[in-house]
Amino acid sequence: MAAEKSTLSKESSALSLDTWAVIIALLLAMAVRFDVIKNVPW
Amino acid sequence: MATSTTLIPTKSANSVLNALSVVPGIILLAMIGYAAKLLEHSVNAYAKLHHWVFPNIEYVLWAILIGLLISNTLTIPKVLQLGIATYEFWLKLGIVLLGARFVLADVLKLGGISLALVVIEITLSLALMTLLGKLFKLKPKLISLLAIGSAVCGVSAIIAAKGAIDADDEDSSFAIAAILALGALALFTFPAIAHGLHMNDTSYGLWAGLGVDNTAEATAAGALYSDAAGKVAVLAKTARNAMIGFVVLAYAIYWSSRGQADTVSNKALFLWKKFPKFILGFLLISLLVSFHAFNKAQITSLGNLSKWAFLLTFAGVGLRTNFREMSKQGLRPFMVGALGEILIACLTLGLVVGANRIWGL
Repeated sequence: MAAEKSTLSKESSALSLDTWAVIIALLLAMAVRFDVIKNVPW
Repeated sequence: MATSTTLIPTKSANSVLNALSVVPGIILLAMIGYAAKLLEHSVNAYAKLHHWVFPNIEYVLWAILIGLLISNTLTIPKVLQLGIATYEFWLKLGIVLLGARFVLADVLKLGGISLALVVIEITLSLALMTLLGKLFKLKPKLISLLAIGSAVCGVSAIIAAKGAIDADDEDSSFAIAAILALGALALFTFPAIAHGLHMNDTSYGLWAGLGVDNTAEATAAGALYSDAAGKVAVLAKTARNAMIGFVVLAYAIYWSSRGQADTVSNKALFLWKKFPKFILGFLLISLLVSFHAFNKAQITSLGNLSKWAFLLTFAGVGLRTNFREMSKQGLRPFMVGALGEILIACLTLGLVVGANRIWGL
């Protein structure tokens, strides 16, 4: 049961990591699209 | 009433503390990444100034080397470890933003070729690893984990499969250590072999995406060859990642039919839960670019943001690779992994060479 719980929490955190990456990427894309962020250097 | 009023501030204070606890490690990742960029620039400039014949060492390799040096010579303080672990977040953020550098037609063409090769690669890898595991008399569930890890996508696949097939912690640690150690070796061997074979960027990128198991290492192995190869490696690896749910589901059904794992009641929900959602973000950004939602300067900015995110990832790859810890996990699973990986690398190289002849990559 404890192992099940730890797996579940690992899986849900892995899922939220993906979701967060998508959310932040979309926010950055919007900021670039509306020129809030401009000419990012490399 | 009193409890609820005291609980809320405590909870929010905890979340702020949790969020802040990753900051020191992220700063370390950024410092290593920036140092790698400076080293690339200054070493190349110095060599040019003194007319030295010196290989162009890219920031990717510098970031990994600095990380490796730190993690294998010093003890990383606990306060930095949470932030270092965020390298996986930066990897996924980088991949989603990389969607800006692909129009959908490219994704469909290269992704279609990748997907066809991925299906062949997964089938052969699973069969090969199972055979080797049985030859070396490894435990059945460890064989399953090694097969899934080498066929699909390294650590995330092993973690996803661990719960689904009810494998124990020890087997998972073995499999993860073997996949990580072999990924670290692939970082140095894949580009060297490809240079020897004079592979073009697309062929090499496909090979790195198909042959290197962990997404971070596959991305780094691609970028070590060239920027264009890095892009293709990420695409091929993403196509491989998309298959994670199907492979883990097949293994879950196999082990539950033997009464050694829970039955999967809702297969569609299982597939959705295991599907890496960042792939949808990558496709969405690529779709927006295809419909001209961004101008050229904006696409360059998104591409550069993706490179910055990958820079933190590469620093994390080096910092996370600790050879002393890996050697503690035992030699047999590593031997099976190494043998399997060498054979899979040869096999995927053959597949890519074949695809190059058929489709002219």
